[in-house]
Amino acid sequence: MAQTNLEKQLNILDYALSSLWRRRMKSLSVLLVFASVIFLLASFQMVTQALSDKAKQVLAYTPEITLQKMSAGRQEAIPLAYKDKLAGIFGIRRVVPRIWGYYFDEVLLANYTVMGMNVDEMPESARLDTALASGRMPTPDEQGRVVIGHSVKKALDLEGRNTFSFFRPNLSLKAFTVSGEFSQGTDILTNDLIIMNLADARDLYAIPAGMVTDLCVYVANPKEIDTIARKISEALPGVRVLTRPQIQKTYQVVFGWRSGFGSICLLTALAAFVILAWDKASGLSPEERREIAILKVLGWETSDILAVRFWESVIVSGLACVVGMTAAYIHVVYFAASLFRPVLMGWSVLRPDLHLLPRMAAGDILLILAFTVIPYLAATVIPAWRSATVPADSALGG
Amino acid sequence: MRPALVFSLLLCLLLALDGALFVDGLSRRKAEDATLAQLEVATSALGLSDLAVATEARYTRHPAVSDPMAPFMDHPGAIEHFPTGAFWLPPQH
Amino acid sequence: MLIELSGVSKIYNQGRANEVRALTDIDLGVEQGSMVCLKGPSGSGKSTLLAIIGCIFPPTSGKAAIADRQLARLPDRFLTLHRRETIGFIFQRFNVLPELTVLDNITLPLLPLGVPPKERKLRAQELLKRFGISHRAQFPAGQISGGELQRVAIARALINNQPIILADEPTAHLDTTLSREFMEIMQQLKAAGKTIIIASHDPLVFEHPAIDRTVTVKDGRIHVP
Repeated sequence: MAQTNLEKQLNILDYALSSLWRRRMKSLSVLLVFASVIFLLASFQMVTQALSDKAKQVLAYTPEITLQKMSAGRQEAIPLAYKDKLAGIFGIRRVVPRIWGYYFDEVLLANYTVMGMNVDEMPESARLDTALASGRMPTPDEQGRVVIGHSVKKALDLEGRNTFSFFRPNLSLKAFTVSGEFSQGTDILTNDLIIMNLADARDLYAIPAGMVTDLCVYVANPKEIDTIARKISEALPGVRVLTRPQIQKTYQVVFGWRSGFGSICLLTALAAFVILAWDKASGLSPEERREIAILKVLGWETSDILAVRFWESVIVSGLACVVGMTAAYIHVVYFAASLFRPVLMGWSVLRPDLHLLPRMAAGDILLILAFTVIPYLAATVIPAWRSATVPADSALGG
Repeated sequence: MRPALVFSLLLCLLLALDGALFVDGLSRRKAEDATLAQLEVATSALGLSDLAVATEARYTRHPAVSDPMAPFMDHPGAIEHFPTGAFWLPPQH
Repeated sequence: MLIELSGVSKIYNQGRANEVRALTDIDLGVEQGSMVCLKGPSGSGKSTLLAIIGCIFPPTSGKAAIADRQLARLPDRFLTLHRRETIGFIFQRFNVLPELTVLDNITLPLLPLGVPPKERKLRAQELLKRFGISHRAQFPAGQISGGELQRVAIARALINNQPIILADEPTAHLDTTLSREFMEIMQQLKAAGKTIIIASHDPLVFEHPAIDRTVTVKDGRIHVP
C-alpha cells in the first residue's frame, strides 16, 4: 500500500513536471523572474551579513573610548590639555592623542583618510608591520614618512616612485615619502588610509600645537568602560564620549537586516511577484477547467489535482530558490557583489577590493525560504482549491 | 527515463554545485582567517573604528565616529544626498 | 444485473431558485455483456443519466447499484474510487489533452492508481497495437487524425480493464465511415464481455445490429413508446 502510494505521488510529480514542460516558456519565465527576485534578496542579505560579520570581528579591537570635542554641533579640535583632566579618573591605563581627517584630492576627486599618531603608544603596535605588504612603519622621529593603503597607491600612481606632495591649507606643498604599504588583505580597513606622524599631520592640516582631533582612551578593565565613560563625560561636559560597544552597535544598526532601505525595496518586488502569481493562479482558464474535468472523470480525485498544483509550485519555487541563492552566493563571493557596488560605495572614488565571504547559516537560508517560497506556495496553492469546484460532468457534452 | 528522475538528477547537479561552492568556501574561510589576524592588528594598532568601504562622505566613511549632525550639515531636514546614505544609516547612539 | 437503477431522480441546485429537475423516477437495468443505447434529444437528461451510471455524482433520490455497489449517498471520494475501477469513459469530441502524447493520454487514468511507468507503457502499447496506432504513440494527441483520435479515446477507456464502457455522443463529430468503424470496435468489445452504454441520437448507432436495447429518454423520463 505504501509502495503504491509512493508510486502514485511519483506519478503525480511526473505529471506536474510534464505539464510544466508543456508550458515551458511560461514556466521558465516565472522561474527566472522568481529566481532573480530571490537572487537580489539573498545577495543583499549576504552582503550585509558578510560586512557586519567582518565589522563585528574587527571592531572588537577598536579603541575602548574615543573622545571628540563638540562645538556648535560639529566636531572640533580637542586640546591636549584635556589629557591632564583625565588624570584623576581611576582605571584609565593610557590616553593616546590622534590627528585624523580627510584630504580631498581635487585632481582625482578622491577622499583620503589621513591619520597622524605615535603608533608606538598604541596596543599591538609592535606587530603592526605584519599588516604591511612591504616596508615598515615610520618611527616617531622620521619626518615626512607615510604608510599608505592600496587604493591610495593606485590613485597617486606611486608605481615606481615613492614620493608625493599634498597641499597645506595655505597652498604650500608638503612632501611625503612612502615607507610602507598595507597588505591588500586589509583593504577593507586600510584602503584609503595614509598613516603618518602626529607632527606631520599637524603640519599638513596646520593644526595649532596643543590641539589634536581626538583622544583614544584605554582602560585597565574592559568591564569598566561604561563607568569610566560616564566619569569622563561628567569631567568634560563638552566632549563626546564614544565607547567601543557603541561603535560596534553602530555597525549592527548600519547593516541590520531590517534597517536596509534595499531590503524593503526587494521585499516590495517580491510582494509584487507574489500578487502576480496569485492573480495568475486564481483564475482558471477554459483549458484548465477542461483538463481538470477530464482528469476528474478519468478517476482523479480532487486531492490528486491539488497535488499536481502543489508539486508545480514546489518545483518552480524550490528550483528558483536554489538557483537564486546559488547565483547570489557566486555573485557575492566570486564577483564581490558587483551589482551592489554602486549602492555600497556610491560616488566613492577609492574603491576597495571587497573579499566577502558570507556565513550561510541554516537560519539565513530558512529566512529567505520563509520570505520567498512560502508566500509563493500560499499564492498559488490556495487558489487551486477552485479546481475542486469544477464539476466532473462538465467534461460530458449536452 | 521518467520526468521525476530527470528532475531529481537536475536537482542533484545543482546541489553538487552548491557542495563544490561550500568546499571552496571552506578554503576561502581559511585564507580569510589568515587576513583576519592582520585586520585585528591594524585595528588595534591604529585605533580604527570603521570599515573603509564608502569614502564619499564622512558619515559613510566613518559612521561610528562622525558627529551626528554630519549628514544634516546644511539643513536638518535635508533629503539624503549621497547614494550610500541609504545603505549606511547614521549612527543611533 | 450489472447496472440497476430504480426510482432514480436527479435535481440540480435543489432548494434554490435555479432548481432543475433533470431526471424523474428512472428504472433501468442493464445486464453484463449487453450493449444499450440511450436515445433522446439534447437536454433530455441522457447525459445526467450517463453521469449517474458513471458514478460522477449520486442520484438525488432512488437506488442506483453499479457493479454491486449502492451509489446513493456515497461520498465523492468513494464514487471516484469506484469509478476508476469500474467505468471507462468515451467523451464527445473524445476530450483528449492535445499537448500530451497519445501514450500519455491513454495512461492518464493509471497515474492516481500508482501504476509504475514501465507497466503503464506496457499496457498502453498493448492497446495501441490492438487498435493499430502503435506508430502514433509519441505524437501529441492534437496532431493525429480523427480516426486515430477515436481509437485513442477507446484505448483510454479500456486501460484499466474496466468492465463498463460509457460513451457520450461518440459519433456526433465523426463522418459515416468513422462512425461505422466506431460501432465495429464496440461490437468487438461487447464480444469480449464488456458492458456498453452509448448515449446517442445517431441512427448509425441505435440502429446498429449489435445494440441489444434502445432506451429513449425524454424530459427526464424513460419514454415507453
